[in-house]
Amino acid sequence: MTKRTVDVSIPVGPVHPCWKEPARVKCETRGEFVLSAEVELGYMKKGIERIMRGRPWQEVMFLAERVCGICSVIHNMVFIEALEKISAIPVPERAALLRVIVNELDRMQSHILANFSYCYTIEHETLGMYLLDTRERVMDELERITGARVTCAYIVPGGVRFDLRPEDAHHLRAGLDALERDITRYMGMFEHGPLIALRSRGIGILTREAAEEAYAVGPTARASGIPGIDRRLRHPTYQKLGFAPVSRQEGDNFARIMVRFQEVLQSIGLIRKCLDILPEGPIRGGGIPGAGEIAYSGEAPRGELSYFIRTDEAGRVVEISIQTPSIMNIEACCHYMLKGVASLADVPSTFVSSDPCIACTER
Amino acid sequence: MREPMYEKDLTAMKYAILESRRHDGMVREIAAEIGVPQLRMRRYLMDRFDMLLLENLPARYEQGKKIREDSPEPERQLGSHLYTHAVPIIDREAMEQILKSVREMVRKGTPLDQAIHSGRERMRKEITA
Repeated sequence: MTKRTVDVSIPVGPVHPCWKEPARVKCETRGEFVLSAEVELGYMKKGIERIMRGRPWQEVMFLAERVCGICSVIHNMVFIEALEKISAIPVPERAALLRVIVNELDRMQSHILANFSYCYTIEHETLGMYLLDTRERVMDELERITGARVTCAYIVPGGVRFDLRPEDAHHLRAGLDALERDITRYMGMFEHGPLIALRSRGIGILTREAAEEAYAVGPTARASGIPGIDRRLRHPTYQKLGFAPVSRQEGDNFARIMVRFQEVLQSIGLIRKCLDILPEGPIRGGGIPGAGEIAYSGEAPRGELSYFIRTDEAGRVVEISIQTPSIMNIEACCHYMLKGVASLADVPSTFVSSDPCIACTER
Repeated sequence: MREPMYEKDLTAMKYAILESRRHDGMVREIAAEIGVPQLRMRRYLMDRFDMLLLENLPARYEQGKKIREDSPEPERQLGSHLYTHAVPIIDREAMEQILKSVREMVRKGTPLDQAIHSGRERMRKEITA
């Protein structure tokens, strides 16, 4: 095998001012041109799957939320819905819609945080700070409904923990109106900003073929023209709401950020629909998880999140395996988007545009 | 020679990735199909792939299997796309050569099963060489 001659191998990270979590990207470069990139993990391995094994579901449900600090609601939702599928536990209509409301609020705050990170990375701090301020308002709504901002533990087998009071619903509607107005304005700033375009358009391209090969998921795949890769299309409550995924064709950094902006607006629409059709009734139907085995997936903010769970008669989790969307997206980022990036300065922004969650990836 | 302090030996972490239930099942399936011992296959994957590709292998494998089902013969049976794109354990040029020889054998009248067996044998040699 002949040895490849390159100018220099440049490590980016593990600690980088623009990254939320530690990861090391090794870039082989020829001048400014990036020939290839490789990611090294292992800086924050939790071993959470191993901690979960042998514990009762009542404990694992709280551990599942702690896989990811950004999108904790979807981990809670997928884990509980998997248990419900195992034991055929029904969920009241009102609870199912409340789950969607909380899940979409969580998606909104995750997407806004991802777009903040990107704006911060390309040094558009003004827009970044606007977005961070907006995210706080989403977090406030989440706190108002669930009582917590991050690890809410809102979804329980057979329903949800708290009901939505009429005054909270009214507050949420008013908040959504303000959020829609602001996000539309920020999206316009991003879309028409000439400096943003210079750093974002045509950079870090992930073609549809490459996205399919790496099995990229979530907004990363949808920005490369694969709209069908959205688990919400198969979720009964989302089907009832007439959900249709957002997608773009460009596959570059710009498209990935724009898809997230569009999905925030879409989430606002979904929450409004839920509030419109929210029926009166119970929020908990009861039911106890029993023995069984299932592979179940849901759509996290970053894409498809899959849980494989096996439980015994007492509801203890005997076996669990979690496949998080960041695994696929970071892999697609390193082996396709970063390969051939014209300037090393675009490496951090391209990496951030794929919304990498290292906590999820390392579990 | 002194190694840079940030160049770590990743063998243990790569092995930890391959120990997971999904990875283990995938390695068993590939090893059985190509006829390579599982330990050898694990070692090969660890030497060849970076950590992230290893993490993503089960998802790629599942995706590759779907594409494989739609492929024509003998590509489907040999898993040419699966083993060069989705789980790239064989170089594309080498797989092209294998496919070429299998097609040639079939053209000369060798039964397809026998030609595929010979192709798999060459794939095995590529991995164990």
